[in-house]
Amino acid sequence: MKSTTTSAHRRLGALMSLGAAAALVLAACAPASSSDPTTPASDPTTSDAAPSDDANGETPAGEGGTLKVGYISPITGNFAIAGQEMVDGWNLFWEINGSEAGGVTVETIVEDDAGNPELSLTKARKLVESDGVDVVVGPLLANTALATAAYTSSVGVPNLHPVAAADDLTQREANDLTLRTGSMSGSQMNYPGGVWAAEEGHKTAVTLCPDYAFGWESCAGFKQGFEQNGGEVVSQIWYPNGTSDFATYVSQIQAANADIAFVVTAGGAPGPDFLRSFMGLGLTDSQELVMNCCGMDQATLRALGDEVLGFKSISYWAEGRQSPVVEEFNNAYAERYEGKIPSANVAGGYMTASLVAKVLEENGLVTGEDLVAAIGDASFEDSVLGKVSWDEYNNTVGSVYIREVQERDGKLYNVPIREFNDVDQWLGLDPDEAMARETYSQSFQG
Amino acid sequence: MTRAQKLNVVGFAALIVLLFAFPYLGTSGYQVSLASTVLIAAILAATVNFLAGDGGMGSLGHGAIAAAAAYGAGWSSLQGHSITMQVVVAMGTGIVVTLAYGLLSMRTNGIYFLMVTLAVGMVIYGLAYRLSSVTRGENGITGIQRPEMLAEPWAFYLFVVASFLVVTLVLLVVSRSPFGAGLRGVRDSESRMRSLGYYVPAFKLVAFMISGTIASYAGLLSVWHTHFVSPSSAEVHRSVLLFVMVILGGLGTTLGPLVGATIVVLVENVVSNSMERWPTLLGVIFVLAILFARAGLVGSTAKLVRRMRQRRAGAGPDDAAELTDVPPTSGTTTSVRP
Amino acid sequence: MFEPVFLAQQALNGLSFGALLFLLASGLTLVFGLQRIVNLAHGAFYMLGGYIGIIIATMTGNLLLAAIVSMIAVGVTALVVELGLLRFVRGQEMPEVLLTIGVMFVVADLCLAFFGGDPKTLPAQASIQGAFQLGGLTYPWYRLFVIAVAVAVGIALALIQSKTRVGAVVRAGVDDREIISAMGVNISWVFTGMFVVGAALAALGGTIGSGVLSIRPGIQNDVLLYALVVIIIGGLGSIKGAAVGAVLIGVIDAFAKAWIPEFAYFTIFAPMALVLVFRPTGLFGRTA
Repeated sequence: MKSTTTSAHRRLGALMSLGAAAALVLAACAPASSSDPTTPASDPTTSDAAPSDDANGETPAGEGGTLKVGYISPITGNFAIAGQEMVDGWNLFWEINGSEAGGVTVETIVEDDAGNPELSLTKARKLVESDGVDVVVGPLLANTALATAAYTSSVGVPNLHPVAAADDLTQREANDLTLRTGSMSGSQMNYPGGVWAAEEGHKTAVTLCPDYAFGWESCAGFKQGFEQNGGEVVSQIWYPNGTSDFATYVSQIQAANADIAFVVTAGGAPGPDFLRSFMGLGLTDSQELVMNCCGMDQATLRALGDEVLGFKSISYWAEGRQSPVVEEFNNAYAERYEGKIPSANVAGGYMTASLVAKVLEENGLVTGEDLVAAIGDASFEDSVLGKVSWDEYNNTVGSVYIREVQERDGKLYNVPIREFNDVDQWLGLDPDEAMARETYSQSFQG
Repeated sequence: MTRAQKLNVVGFAALIVLLFAFPYLGTSGYQVSLASTVLIAAILAATVNFLAGDGGMGSLGHGAIAAAAAYGAGWSSLQGHSITMQVVVAMGTGIVVTLAYGLLSMRTNGIYFLMVTLAVGMVIYGLAYRLSSVTRGENGITGIQRPEMLAEPWAFYLFVVASFLVVTLVLLVVSRSPFGAGLRGVRDSESRMRSLGYYVPAFKLVAFMISGTIASYAGLLSVWHTHFVSPSSAEVHRSVLLFVMVILGGLGTTLGPLVGATIVVLVENVVSNSMERWPTLLGVIFVLAILFARAGLVGSTAKLVRRMRQRRAGAGPDDAAELTDVPPTSGTTTSVRP
Repeated sequence: MFEPVFLAQQALNGLSFGALLFLLASGLTLVFGLQRIVNLAHGAFYMLGGYIGIIIATMTGNLLLAAIVSMIAVGVTALVVELGLLRFVRGQEMPEVLLTIGVMFVVADLCLAFFGGDPKTLPAQASIQGAFQLGGLTYPWYRLFVIAVAVAVGIALALIQSKTRVGAVVRAGVDDREIISAMGVNISWVFTGMFVVGAALAALGGTIGSGVLSIRPGIQNDVLLYALVVIIIGGLGSIKGAAVGAVLIGVIDAFAKAWIPEFAYFTIFAPMALVLVFRPTGLFGRTA
């Protein structure tokens, strides 16, 4: 018995070595269908959507054609709430305004990447190669965004980023097909905060930022703004990603004894966790504090409620800004989502949709680099983010708000108390000079 | 050769032909890329399968080993090294990490082994996440290129198929060698092997090194496939999924890893398109497999076929490895639930 | 960085974090001690307990009630898992552990579906407000309260284990399962009971802990990691070991973050690696 089993295995072995050898031979002749990854599979015999095509043919699409949009966002996993919000913002716009702009029908396919870059990449491939989308929107996180942008630009498909903040997306790795449409880069959005802190008369500052690219960029922005205006950052504390107990860091902030503390989180639990420790140690009244966009977003406000009244933060999005555009957006969102107030993620998705709609209205159906170029020429006098336009590196140039948490009709809003307009990503330098410097890190803060 | 074995060989041959023919069947680039993902996952699962099936060592850290190798390639590519150098650095990193795992875990067994590999895997994840000067933190490392001759997706796919076959073959050879027999001896009873004069930790370390080296290779393939690496490839979740693949396919079976990888990758990548609660689905499938198909899909099917044949032709051999707790006192494997 | 107030504050930070770690590790180590299974769904039970606790606390403003309800709810969940799943694979180490992985997937994903992805923390009205003042030292009462709860739970577990009949049965079960069946005790129900108690302890940890760390998707993995490190150091199955391990990790972590921030993450794992190399069964674990 045993010997026959072994001989069978030997045969299997031989078979597999043969197979391996065959691979090398086969590698010499390319299969026709997959040699060009940019052409979506269009063979009618293999397309499983063939029968439904006829059904679609009866309902005429907008006479201007259809813009197919692939939307990637983490809808499950640890970033599910932010990811869902980014999708909700996009959908909200089309629900309010109808899914047609300038005669072009906008068709969206949403894909979940669970915050995992490998999955984002597979989904991007699927959208481009199987669904044949004209533009990919998202994903949310910096790592997924950079991975996706590298792929989409290699196959000539535009990629719009409603939320991702990585500086390099529109700097060192900028290309003609990648745009940041609904947010700002990490250093850009915090630079005015430093300017403001110095102008408020603070002489010294302590910073607490997460120890990776987003934290380095955010802190670098604040520090340069603060020090260019006469302040001095006396201590910079870095916390490892994934920190949940902030007590020791709060003790260090207290020990630094600076006029103002600047604290950055990338959203989610660290915001409330930090504030719990901060308030617990009784620093609310004795230590001036300003947080970044995401540390004091609606998720934090929802988690902590009235306790955070009066807290200040810096962001490109202010849900409490008095503007008809913002109010319309807030009301529409609240109506559909149980009275919730939109966060920066919702605003990013909505902003991106408004931009696409505007471009389609002005130009009709444009795709590829034409779409990117058209966005580059677009500008808004007042959008949900305020006055916005796009620079030649495809990044937003817009307003940054210093915000304070205030109550209005029983709900908490971040209300702007100071506004900086036309903020670009170069922090007062010229682009080449800025990009020639080394990348921000703990040791290089500009 | 019995009829069953003939069937087996024919089945394998058909599978191999199908694997190679796949890109020529009018499949889209996306489908070919998905198939590469499945095969790379299957290679990784095969290493876990080998260690758990033959060595009785359930590892929850192999995802992190692969990620370490991928980071090696990424770091090396950032330094502007040549492709050859990148391969060397990647495999070197993977092997060093494997050695660390092996040294920390070789004196443990069973559940302790599982926990040690889990904990070391979490350390690797932490390093990837936090040692940002080397790993670029959460952003990860992008733009890692594969060798030019594999640049075309289908060429890379065929290379992955060949790799999968070679790895399966190597593991089969190792498993059938005297070393493999000794390893199963260690699995069944450490004390007996010790009294026979074997140095048990060395056996385990060597098995771990073999498994880890191949896992490193899989890490290199995955970075060549996706062109980037980020901390999420080192997440414990990835290692857990590898184990899920092995169990779903059937522990100790040759084709189990491929079957398991296919299911898991498809649920993650394709079912997730239409079903929001797919992580729950994955968990439920896993639980059901453990409860009702302990030998996995491949193992259970084989068993069913065997049982039907036995009914016709009397008793036959029953040597499929099963997912059972091996009591240290007995050499026989406990049978599964009736 | 070396002023007395700062040192005292860090010591308290370390102790209170250690106390939380003890709450999350004690249930895990108890279950292991008796059943030899590592319940990888422990983190998910912590998460579920935290969410339920927060909801009850928000409704009633009563932390005690929140803790009790959450312990009962999670205990019942654990009972269902035990009777519905684990019983079928009793005594088989690997399948038991793997089943708990499946349970972790499902519980964590369903928590996301039901409770949403927002981080949630204990509402102020159910928490203990204010800070303790002594000279220049300020310290939040709530964190002192966490230390007190952990000490109380630790003492209670130790007393039950050494002084009561239940404890005697459990101890006997750890040493020799056959003997205890021979004594006429239904060991199966002892196992089930212990599994439920372990899960209830996780729920208590989740409810109390939500005043310090918010409950969010992903917390289950963090909690599991910390608990594993603590019990690997302390020795699987040992309450004393869990206590020592938890305090050790908590204090080392607090001071390392202040003095050697760039190595902060490794200071948790360095002790673990040392223990694994020199004493693979942990400081207080029995040799296999």
